[in-house]
Amino acid sequence: MPRRVAVTGLGLIGPHGGAEPGGAQAAFEALMAGQSAVTLWDHPAAAQLNAPAAVAPTPFDASHWFTRLQLAGVDRFSQFAVAAAELARADAGLAAYDAATGVYLGSGMGGAAAIEDAYASAQKSGRVSPLTVPATMPNAGAAHIAMRNGLHGPVYTYSIACASSAVAIAEAAKAIAAGELDCAIAGGSEALLLPGVIRAWQAMHTLAEPAAQAERSSRPFAVDRAGLVLGEGAAVLVLEPLEAARARGARLYAEIAGSGVSCDATHLTKPDTAGQVRALTMALARAGLAPAEVGYCNAHGTATQAGDMVEAASLAQVWGEALPQLAVSSTKSMHGHLLGAAGALEAAITVLALYNRALPPSMFCEMPDPECALALVHTPGTQAPELKAAISNSFAFGGTNVVLAFRRAE
Amino acid sequence: METTAEIKQLIHARFGIEAATLRDAAPLAQYGLDSLSLAELVFSIEEHFGIDMPVGRDDINTIDKLALLIDELRTPA
Repeated sequence: MPRRVAVTGLGLIGPHGGAEPGGAQAAFEALMAGQSAVTLWDHPAAAQLNAPAAVAPTPFDASHWFTRLQLAGVDRFSQFAVAAAELARADAGLAAYDAATGVYLGSGMGGAAAIEDAYASAQKSGRVSPLTVPATMPNAGAAHIAMRNGLHGPVYTYSIACASSAVAIAEAAKAIAAGELDCAIAGGSEALLLPGVIRAWQAMHTLAEPAAQAERSSRPFAVDRAGLVLGEGAAVLVLEPLEAARARGARLYAEIAGSGVSCDATHLTKPDTAGQVRALTMALARAGLAPAEVGYCNAHGTATQAGDMVEAASLAQVWGEALPQLAVSSTKSMHGHLLGAAGALEAAITVLALYNRALPPSMFCEMPDPECALALVHTPGTQAPELKAAISNSFAFGGTNVVLAFRRAE
Repeated sequence: METTAEIKQLIHARFGIEAATLRDAAPLAQYGLDSLSLAELVFSIEEHFGIDMPVGRDDINTIDKLALLIDELRTPA
């Protein structure tokens, strides 16, 4: 008999902060207020771009978490991961993680700053830092969490583009349900605000040109959408068996009711309704939820034309006549696209929506695309006193689709 | 500046350890440098002095030994 799985702790290092006490809830309240963290990239390295970029940077003080000596060979994405895991531990009310705790982390590109530094250094002096490899490897973040906390169980990294951390959470929940683990650190980390990476995304013509008011650059589901905005950060969820968590008096943010995973297997970058429908249907079936019981969907909603339209069509197909009852928002309108960390950040937001019975808005969609006929949450501060269940969508380049379904833990 | 003082400056700049607390003959491991941070220090030394340090010299583990080797490498043959 599979065990029920609860989310008992949240740790966020994101564009809306999170490092301060109660930070995940504070970040959620900023999102509820419709505050966008998107801004013009004004880092000195922005001089290396051919065109300006709008980004959602994460305020982060590494010295709060690491000594200078500890930082040798630790890329920014690993720093985020360690900090988020620490915040999640404290939020879960745990004095320490048990040594048998599993680490399930997602990252799209791992230590990209270290690899860009290596190229720059090789061109400048001909030398490359000897710590480039351990800083760059995608599993470095998970390994640093394990070393910091003395964790001897499974320490896994999933790299499935924009679905990386959603897969990580789904797999961690399965391990808890199966009785393989009694605690898991599940989430993702990404730090790609770098000149090389931004130029590569610009070359794909998927990034939004900065709006006149830069904070409005990410406009999912709007007729005047312009493409995605890159964000950075990490989000970590602490997962425990629900009954055990209840017995120790832990705060139960929500229950992970089920997940659905599928691959389009049609195109490397173009999304596909059939594949998304399979993931949505599977998640609902495994969660034992009828479409009408789900009150909120945190959409993948990247603000690309193909992405928004295919997602809207997939939701319409699965929800049918119940579609108007499904409140939908893309919080990427405010925190941008965290790529490998997006699924985890948005899972945390979905969990907080259930916990608070409040729906974060889909901002900057004054002109909804009539071809995306969704019940978008337009108004900041929207309350949802009847909310019982919610889903979070993550649809990746490579065709992998992940839907996480959550239920209020009552 | 003496080579040992320059090394201490590099250690301070890289790892935030106060130069005044570093003793020339003490193994750098005493200050928390492990094999990875030591590799990073050697990289900083190569960049700073414009030299190539030999590989596999695990016996070079103090500031004075590092300085001796650096001075050797900087002396034109």
